[in-house]
Amino acid sequence: MIDWKSNLNVDEIKVGDVLPAISIPITLQRLVMEAQGNYDLSLMHHDKRAALTVGASDAFANTFFLMGMYERLLREWAGNEMRIKRIGNMRMTSFNVVDDVTTFSGSVREINDEVVTLDMESRVGDRQTSSAFALIKL
Amino acid sequence: MASEGWGKQGSWEETESFVGKTIAISKGVDAVELGSVRKWLEPKHFFPPIHSDTAAAKAAGYRDVVAPRTMAFTYGLPAYFDAETPLEKLGDTPRQIPVPAIFDLPAPCGQSFATSVDIEFFDDMYLGDRITCTHKLKEIKYKTLSVGEGAFLTQEDTYTNQNGDLVALAELVIFRFNASKKDD
Repeated sequence: MIDWKSNLNVDEIKVGDVLPAISIPITLQRLVMEAQGNYDLSLMHHDKRAALTVGASDAFANTFFLMGMYERLLREWAGNEMRIKRIGNMRMTSFNVVDDVTTFSGSVREINDEVVTLDMESRVGDRQTSSAFALIKL
Repeated sequence: MASEGWGKQGSWEETESFVGKTIAISKGVDAVELGSVRKWLEPKHFFPPIHSDTAAAKAAGYRDVVAPRTMAFTYGLPAYFDAETPLEKLGDTPRQIPVPAIFDLPAPCGQSFATSVDIEFFDDMYLGDRITCTHKLKEIKYKTLSVGEGAFLTQEDTYTNQNGDLVALAELVIFRFNASKKDD
């Protein structure tokens, strides 16, 4: 359980700190709920036949899901008072498909006053599926 | 993440004529509200109280319940169908979310994939806010990759609320190309 009454202070972190990783199963139900929730109803994100036509092995998570999971990674680490300023250069390097378990992780690259730069990525096993950096204010 | 046989067709000269110009405007179909926020959070198994509870949001320095930052993408999306949209027929191409750099911008290419997304956040989104996204073509960079010859198109998306206040500024880079022949 996340303690939402706790907020991270910049004095409590240092360069190299690792965020608690989040693993989430990519089930077809999750993808269908995600399509409903983020309103990207493109078939490739919940229909295997459509996904096969673009080179994926099954329905795959979309950009909005990955962005949202990076937001979750940051929010659960830093708390409610943290402000996300930017999620930058998010690159999608391979698919997150049905029956994958995707793990989101991150670490502190730089601290400049209250503004923190973090490197983040998602992986399925040894395979990276996306990467990005974030700027947040604590 | 490539897509075959889609995108508006035209010459590179036509593509270049759009640099710096607005290529589409998307008016978000739904205002920010608790139900859609919950449906966005649920599949991510993500339940911070600032997105559902006024007291928690105020304690964290917001003026009221606030939407997740990256939900700007969702609240900037138009409806798939409305009263003026003819009912689709079986076999019609399914509707997609707006990606004007592919669907509204002419280019001599039949394939495309997104290479990167970047988003910077400004004003928060509160219950009742309505988001509009203005899409511009920022730049074209011609490139030949292993998949084929084409160009990187940078689409700049400006998200504003009903007061015209800036909510987010995003850049989506799309590579539009024609696949190399296998014997090339």
